[in-house]
Amino acid sequence: MTTTTPSAPVTARGPLAVRTITGEEHLAFVRSRRSASFLQTPAWGAVKAEWRRESVGWFAGAELVGAALVLYRQVPKVKRYLAYLPEGPVIDYADGDLEGWLRPLTTHLKGQGAFGIRIGPPVVVARWDAATVKEGVADPEVRRLGQLPPTERSAAGATVVSQLQELGWRKLEAEGGFAAGQPAFNFQVPLRTPEGEPRTEAEVLKGMNQLWRRNIKKADKAGVEVTTSVDDAALEAFHALYVHTAERDHFTPRPLAYFRTMRDALNAEEPDRFTFFLAHHEGDLVAATIAIRVGAHYWYSYGASSTAKRDVRGSNAVQWAMVRAALAAGCDVYDLRGITETLDADDSHVGLIQFKVGTGGEAVEHVGEWDLPVNRLLYKAFDLYMSRR
Amino acid sequence: MSLVLNVDGPVWRDHLQSFAAAHPGLVPVLKGNGYGFGLGRLARKSTWLGVDTIAVGIHEELGEVANRFDGSLLVLTPWRPFGAALELAPGSPLTRRVIHTVSRLEDVEALLAHDPSARFVLERTTSMLRHGLSARELREAGALLEARGGLASQLQGVALHLPLAQGSHVGEVRRLMTDVIAAGLHTTTIWVSHLSDAELATLAAAYPDYTFRPRAGTGLWLGARGATRVTATVLDTHPVERGDVFGYRGRSAPKAGTILVVSGGTAHGIGLEAPAGDLSLKARAATLARGGLDAVGFVRSPFSIDGKQRLFAEPPHMQASMLFLPAGSRVPAVGDVVDVRVRYTATSFDRTEVS
Repeated sequence: MTTTTPSAPVTARGPLAVRTITGEEHLAFVRSRRSASFLQTPAWGAVKAEWRRESVGWFAGAELVGAALVLYRQVPKVKRYLAYLPEGPVIDYADGDLEGWLRPLTTHLKGQGAFGIRIGPPVVVARWDAATVKEGVADPEVRRLGQLPPTERSAAGATVVSQLQELGWRKLEAEGGFAAGQPAFNFQVPLRTPEGEPRTEAEVLKGMNQLWRRNIKKADKAGVEVTTSVDDAALEAFHALYVHTAERDHFTPRPLAYFRTMRDALNAEEPDRFTFFLAHHEGDLVAATIAIRVGAHYWYSYGASSTAKRDVRGSNAVQWAMVRAALAAGCDVYDLRGITETLDADDSHVGLIQFKVGTGGEAVEHVGEWDLPVNRLLYKAFDLYMSRR
Repeated sequence: MSLVLNVDGPVWRDHLQSFAAAHPGLVPVLKGNGYGFGLGRLARKSTWLGVDTIAVGIHEELGEVANRFDGSLLVLTPWRPFGAALELAPGSPLTRRVIHTVSRLEDVEALLAHDPSARFVLERTTSMLRHGLSARELREAGALLEARGGLASQLQGVALHLPLAQGSHVGEVRRLMTDVIAAGLHTTTIWVSHLSDAELATLAAAYPDYTFRPRAGTGLWLGARGATRVTATVLDTHPVERGDVFGYRGRSAPKAGTILVVSGGTAHGIGLEAPAGDLSLKARAATLARGGLDAVGFVRSPFSIDGKQRLFAEPPHMQASMLFLPAGSRVPAVGDVVDVRVRYTATSFDRTEVS
């Protein structure tokens, strides 16, 4: 285990001010950063059209130094809101003065009628490499990721958690309370070496387990072809397969219109922010996914697969195509998004982890979602309302 | 003739060994009166238990344990740039065995200025709010040590002194652990107190990359039920009639009975009531009632005869106490022993007899 050393706090900057910014200012700021969650792009606000949204910016003097997409969720019957900053805000968490960032935000959101604020800082607290996770799954004594010593604990991440605790924010626990928000545990494949050098396709492939490599080869031999598209035909093809997957795996699918809105909004922002990947075998669609890119961060967002022709390994083929696209775009990380914390071999979720572990990446724990009750009474009422829904 | 702590040796030693076996990394705490056993005896018992570190309360206590135990000596009271801590000569064999507790940022620097090779643990404040660094101060201490290269060989860990159980401590320790990780220290040892075995197991599972070292005093030394018994000796008996005058203050007997003189008095701590931990309404009412007895006449004593607690005939003296036995009770003979219920940590015994 290594613990990263905390960076020295930079105290040079003066007080920050928060105010509403335009979508253009917001987008320009996101573009200036190496990485930001796609949930923090102005376009994501358009996807979540049922919520009131606002782009806010942090200013050090005249300079824009931070930004966030705020979604306002209304309390029934009252003109008060939970201000939600999914996987945000996009600020400098490493400067050691989180209070300096959050205080003006609180003041601003209070003025907008927020009774509570929820944030999800995109900050890593711990990482487990694939080998460690694999051992954990194999060990019947280990039931949760947290029982394994992380390959790395981040002092910077712990510093953020520590400050949030000091400032009176509350960690949103996965069970109970509000409906679970964004997952704290994710799976990612680093596309750069620890020294920052880009990894080659061959290196990434070598990091995958034998099964993955064999399956990728198998799909290639079987003649699976992966194409990318953003057009309506692709949208409809993806959605049909996604509905089929939902029926098979017993989850409720989102309507086609949701994905159309998402595609239109995200791609209006950047040409390759949103892409459908379609894997065909002899004319049959065997797997389809959605890839999203913001800066140097590349996400595998939604996936679907056919029940027939599983032996041609369309899912592995389509993942590999996305990894290659991420590498070609010069990205830092290929993100397979949420995993549950369970490593229990009897838990149905463990299959998902095992699939993702095969990529040779790492399990990553983020600081999670945190709430600040601005109006304690309304916050409590809302909490109660959500828990009874 | 004395106030004696009687210890059932086999039961006590069995308990000590099983306690140590159940608590890997155990740090026995020896402080004050040595929980009634004396610091020297507990230091020898710690050697016998095979632990590598013991903890004393204050620097002044080091002398009594140092030549009876060979390992590291943790001092629980935080180091300050004054007092007995400064009497330890930097680099001396004893000093090299000492681990100081540091609870203020300025003391990190002062200690290292005083003794550049000093070993120490950083204490983080807990909900107890006694001593310790805040989360931010711990991070600053981390930065300060980092500037000196981390001092991995000298920094022996982080100390958490938790309050006595009021529900689970796991949540609090998790929050504190986040502060520890945030400080980026070159240590993975956490010295803790007052955690239940279940809490320790939970934390060990949640932080497998850290080592939790439980400090224990009362639970270790006094945890064996029935292994210890305190006795006093009957030194004299005097039959009295109602109205007879006795004692330093010339009190008169309220009714017929016996004045019993037993060993054990203020010199041992008898008659000086240490507040019991129990804060219930009932306990407080009982305390009031005992005070009330004093106003009327006799006060309940910690001496019991045939299982019945007896009254002080007058306030205890230096090394003996006078009890009143009403007529009709069995009168023990001179030389007999009677039971005494005392707080071990507040009593100094004349002798400790381990069978």
